[in-house]
This record gives sequence, structure tokens and C-alpha cells, in this order.
Amino acid sequence: VTPVMSSPCCGFLAQYTHHHLVAFLLTFFSYVLLHASRKTFSNVKVSISAQWTPSVQNASSPAFSPGETWEQNNLFADSDGATLFLGVLDTIFLFSYAVGLYMSGVIGDRMNLRYVLCFGLCGSAIVVSFVFGTLTEWLQFYNIYLYCGLWVLNGLLQSAVWPCVVAVMGNWFGKSGRGFVFGLWSACASVGNILGAFLASSVLKYGYEYAFLVTSVLQFAGGVVVFFGLLTSPKEVGEPVERDADSHRPLMSDEEDEEGSEEVCDGGYYTIQQGDEEPRETPKAIGFCQAFCLPGVLPYSLAYACLKLVNYSFFFWLPFYLSRNFGWKEAQADRLSVWYDVGGIIGGTIQGLISDFMGKRAPVLAVSLLLAMGALVGYSHSPPDQVVNAALLATTGFFIGGPSNMISSAISADLGRQEALRGSQEALATVTGIVDGTGSIGAAVGQYLVSVIESKLGWMFVFYFFIVMVRSSCLTHNVRQCSCLPEMSHSFSSGASYIRHCVVPVGDIFGPVI
Amino acid sequence: MTAGHSQQNAAVVLLFIHLCFSGGYQLTELQVGLCHLCNGTVQNGTAVSQFCSASAGLIDGRCCLLRKENIRDADYIIGLDLSNCSLSRVEDLQDAFSATTIDLSLNPIVNLDDSLFEGFILLAKLILPANLVCPGGNASWDKVKVKGETHFCEGQKDICNQTGYLSLNCPENSLCLPYGPGFFQCSCVDAFRGYKCLREGEFPIIQVFGPLAGSTVLVSILLWVTQRRKAISV
Repeated sequence: VTPVMSSPCCGFLAQYTHHHLVAFLLTFFSYVLLHASRKTFSNVKVSISAQWTPSVQNASSPAFSPGETWEQNNLFADSDGATLFLGVLDTIFLFSYAVGLYMSGVIGDRMNLRYVLCFGLCGSAIVVSFVFGTLTEWLQFYNIYLYCGLWVLNGLLQSAVWPCVVAVMGNWFGKSGRGFVFGLWSACASVGNILGAFLASSVLKYGYEYAFLVTSVLQFAGGVVVFFGLLTSPKEVGEPVERDADSHRPLMSDEEDEEGSEEVCDGGYYTIQQGDEEPRETPKAIGFCQAFCLPGVLPYSLAYACLKLVNYSFFFWLPFYLSRNFGWKEAQADRLSVWYDVGGIIGGTIQGLISDFMGKRAPVLAVSLLLAMGALVGYSHSPPDQVVNAALLATTGFFIGGPSNMISSAISADLGRQEALRGSQEALATVTGIVDGTGSIGAAVGQYLVSVIESKLGWMFVFYFFIVMVRSSCLTHNVRQCSCLPEMSHSFSSGASYIRHCVVPVGDIFGPVI
Repeated sequence: MTAGHSQQNAAVVLLFIHLCFSGGYQLTELQVGLCHLCNGTVQNGTAVSQFCSASAGLIDGRCCLLRKENIRDADYIIGLDLSNCSLSRVEDLQDAFSATTIDLSLNPIVNLDDSLFEGFILLAKLILPANLVCPGGNASWDKVKVKGETHFCEGQKDICNQTGYLSLNCPENSLCLPYGPGFFQCSCVDAFRGYKCLREGEFPIIQVFGPLAGSTVLVSILLWVTQRRKAISV
């Protein structure tokens, strides 16, 4: 199989059939829909919080009557308690998502990708979004433990989707197809955020339960379409799978033939290569502790955790903050929050391009992180004017989304150079898992911290917390030696335009990509 | 007393007959309770009896009921005369929420519950023993006068219009409406509904999900035909 130059010109695209196009679109939109319904929760936080609490009154004034309209629901005594619980739910979701990713790799290796993907989409849509948001409201049944249990289930079911879509893309487009195609594809998370925000904001006036209803029905429909239309691999129509001669070398290293300006550099994921495998080098297994102690793993994990924390926090809390702090209607806040994702898409693209031209990532990263701190300061003092706020939001997204993607891509490149790991896919996976896992757990803990800080100290301190996190990310990143790990940060971060694509032989760990 | 007794018996019998032939009123049992809380019937010359004859109502025990055209509708109590009943406590008058005139005079009542008259939006004349104050205070009534043993409260004021009161701010999307002497309710305006009047309008389920279902089916069929129909199991 001849490696194909993935220079973005028309001739390059001619090799792809309509099957490729459909596979691209189906995987793209299934992840878009998944992310849209994931975002729904953060888009309706204000409404849910209002639904769970009785009306606010001064101590001296009598309670409003009729009680059914104003005082009846007291799942939480006041909005602070509700905010804390919302943070707890975010944390629970992230933890179970991380756990689910570990398991999905194993499952995805053994079962039909199409079934797993469909199951994840439909299951998450019905069992969770519908029951969590819509049924509890229609039945007027509010219960803390039910919400927590459903959200754990949500995390587990949603974690099945990402590895599958990535594997399908890997099957169809192979390693050589990266760059332009994957760059385009990796915007799916941000497009999902934007779609989710628009859907929620247009339906919110009927009640938050309808926002959940619409996104979960859409997601379910997506699952149905995927079931009937997805070909998981060219093998299913008798075509050979894309294969590159050097499929066992780490994707990112300077010696490799890199395709022009679209440097592929972010979000590692693992595909399942079905069928025949070329003989490969004996893998050098590496213990967990050994991997942890490799130079640079710890600093990178911490740096990545800090940045991921800020990114996730914006994802989960932005509409809530806009609504509470400026008093805007929730639907307006949802639409405004879209600008963060837009900034992230642009930031990821442009900073990636710059670092490609320069050939170095560190300077771009350092500058961007420093400017991110300034952007956060500026944003925290934003005037209550929607246009200015949107501009500041886009700027903040630009400076935070960019490094987020870059760190993960740089991780993969540098790791490949390390002696201990060169050529060893298992070790790569282990180290990836460590950095990804630490990043996700740090971000998960951070969600709860955000709600605690907000209820005790207010939003300004939340921004100080973010600035500290970005600063530590900057510092620890500079400390790092050379452990760079592939990761799928852009599942949450805004708009990566690069995807790293690691190929792992059959039977190996699917990859603890979180 | 015998005459009153037999009159009461007759009234009860009539009521039971009514019960048997009709579907059963919602308030019947309780009407029996309130209207026959104590012996006797509405005395001639009292405020309630004057009001009752003026509005062509039906006297039943101590109540004045509104004559309804449709006999199946629940009877509304429009007047209640519980004077001289030896009541020391008045617990629940909710069944008479539609009453316009209530007479509680000549009873040894010590004090009245604050919430007793909540929901009595039609109450225009309240007669109490002299030791009690008008519910909602004197400011809730147009005319308050004490005559001998009785306290007259007349003309319920609309609390929502009072400038004397601290501004009653109903939350967003709701309006202040009077709900009895000294009481108010915040009711949702226009198309707003639901808890805290947060929801507006009716979600167009058919218009949203109809096209969605249709296009899902279409796309699925299209893709199956073009993609999966020739798929070989791997």
C-alpha cells in the first residue's frame, strides 16, 4: 500500500469514495449530537437550579402563595446548595467518563464497532438524557441519588462513543489521511457545543425539560441512522484498509515525513486494526510506576490537568456564570457562550499553523498561556455589554483552547523521542493513560472546586483560581523534559484542528484515552 | 325547639334524597357539616337573611346557598350565619370560601386564626364578636365599626392597590391578585405557567418531532441502500 501524500489538493481527495464521505459525516455528526446533549446540562443549569429551590424572600416578608407555584419544591433550600450539587454532578460525570473510557477500549476491541456506537448513542439518549431531564420533570420527581446514578450511567454510556468514532475514522482514512481531513473532523466537539447551545436556547422558554427532550431525541435519531448506514471499515465492502508502511512508529517525530502545514498533532486515540498485521517489534512493556517516573510525565500531567480544568470549567459553567453574574436570560447566555468555542476552534487552528511554520511548539505555547492569563483577567472584568463580552470570550477561548490542543500534540511528539518508549506502543499507551487520566481527574476535581469557590467567595475568586491554574500549567510545562503524549483532549476542549492518530495492533489495550 | 328540630331533620332528609338522585356534590358532606354546625337556621332580620332574600338564595340550615341552574353543580355557600352558636373556636371555614356575608357574632371566641379567611375573595361583610379584630387589620376593610356586642367589617380592600403597604413585589412573570382580607396571590400572567411561572407557551411537539422522525426514516433508508446493503460481515 503506497502512503499517500495528504497535501490538501483536489487530487488527494479523489482517492476517497462516497463510502469515505458517509463514514466521515456519520462519525462527525454522531459526536456532534453527543456533545450537544452533553452541553445541554450546562446550558440549563440556571433553570434547573430555579426548579429545585423555593422562591427567595426576605426574612420579614411572607412566603408567596399559592405554595404550589412558588414554594413547593425544596430539593435544596437555596440556590447555593443547588449550585454545589451541580458541581458535584459535573465531577461525577467526568469520573465515570474516565472509567468508561478504560473499559470501552477493551469492549470495542471485542465487539462490532457499529453496535457499540449505536448502543452508546441510543442508550445515553434514552436512558439518561430523557430520564434525567424530561421524565423527572414530567413526573415531578426530584431526587439527589437518582440524579447522581443517572449521571454515572451517562458518563459510562457516552464514553463508548469517542473511541468508536475515532476507530472508524482510522479504518477509513488511515494514518496518511490525517492532516486536512482529520483537521476538519476534529472540529466536531466544538460544533456539537455550538449546536447544543443554539438548540437549548431556542427551546428553553418552554421549560428546561424540553431542551433535554429535543437533544436526546436527536441523539437517538442519530443512533438509528448510524445503525443503518455506517460501514465501520472498508473491509465491509471488500476494500482494503488503509495501511501505511510505517504504521508502527509513533506518529509524531521530527524524522517522519510531515505533511506540510497541517501538522497533525493532537488527541491521540487508538484504532483497532482488523485483520492482518505486519510483524512488529517486540513491545517493551513498561510498568505503571516506571512510566510515571519517566522524566516529564509528572510535570506534563500536572500542566495538562491545570489547563484541562480551566477548559472544562468554561464548558460546564459558562452559561450559568453569564446568567447569574450579568442577569441575562438563560437563552441569551447560552447563545453567548458559543463564542468561547468559536475562539477555541480558531485558536487551535492558528496556533497549530504557527507552530508548524516555526517548527517549535514551546514558544507558541508559552506566549499563549501568558496571554491567556491576561485574557482571563480581562474577561473577569468584562462590562455587562453583550458585544464586548462576546469578543472577550472569543479571545479567552483562543488563548486557552490553543495551548490545550498544543500540549497534547507536543506530548505525543516528544514522547516518541524518548529512548524508553521508542517503538513501544504499550508503553506509549500507558504513559498516555497516565497523563490523560491525571488531566481528567484534575479537571473533575476542579468542577467541584469551582462550585465551592463560587458559593463561598464569588465568581471573581473563580477567575483567580483559573489564572493560578493557567500559571501553573505554564510553569510545569516549561519544566517538562520530553514526555509528550497523545490524547484526546479535544473531546472537551474547544476545537482542536489536529488529531493524533496512533495505531495499535489488535488485541492490545484499546488505549486509555481520556 | 321541636319545630326547628323537625325542620332540621327535614332538611337533612331532603339533602340525602338529593344525594341519591344526583351524582353527588363535592361539597355535600361538608356543607352538611358547616351549615349544620349548630342547631337552628338563619334567623329573620339578620344580615345574612336579608342578604339571602335579596339575592334569591336558598336557605339551608345556617347557610345561604346560591340557586344553581344546573342541579348537578355544587352549591355555593354565599352566606353563613353562625351567630349565637356557642362556638369557642372556629377551625375551618374553607367550605364557605365563596361567601359574601359571614356572621360569627354572639360567640365566645377568644381569637381567630390568621389564615382563617385566606381565599375569601368575595367576602364583603363580616360580623364578629366585639373582642375580635377584623382579619387583615383595619386597613384591609373600607368600613370598620363596633356596635355594642358586635364588630362590623365591611368592604374588603384590594391589597394589591394599597400604597400604604410595602410594595408587594410579585416575582417575574406574575401579577398580584387579592386573595382574602390581608392576603394576596402571585398568579402567572399571560401564557406563563408552571413552577415559578418559568415556562411560556406550549411546546410544539408535532411540528418538531414529526419532521424529525420523517427525515430520520428517510436518511436511514437512503444510507442503508447506498452503504450497508452490500456489506459483508467481517
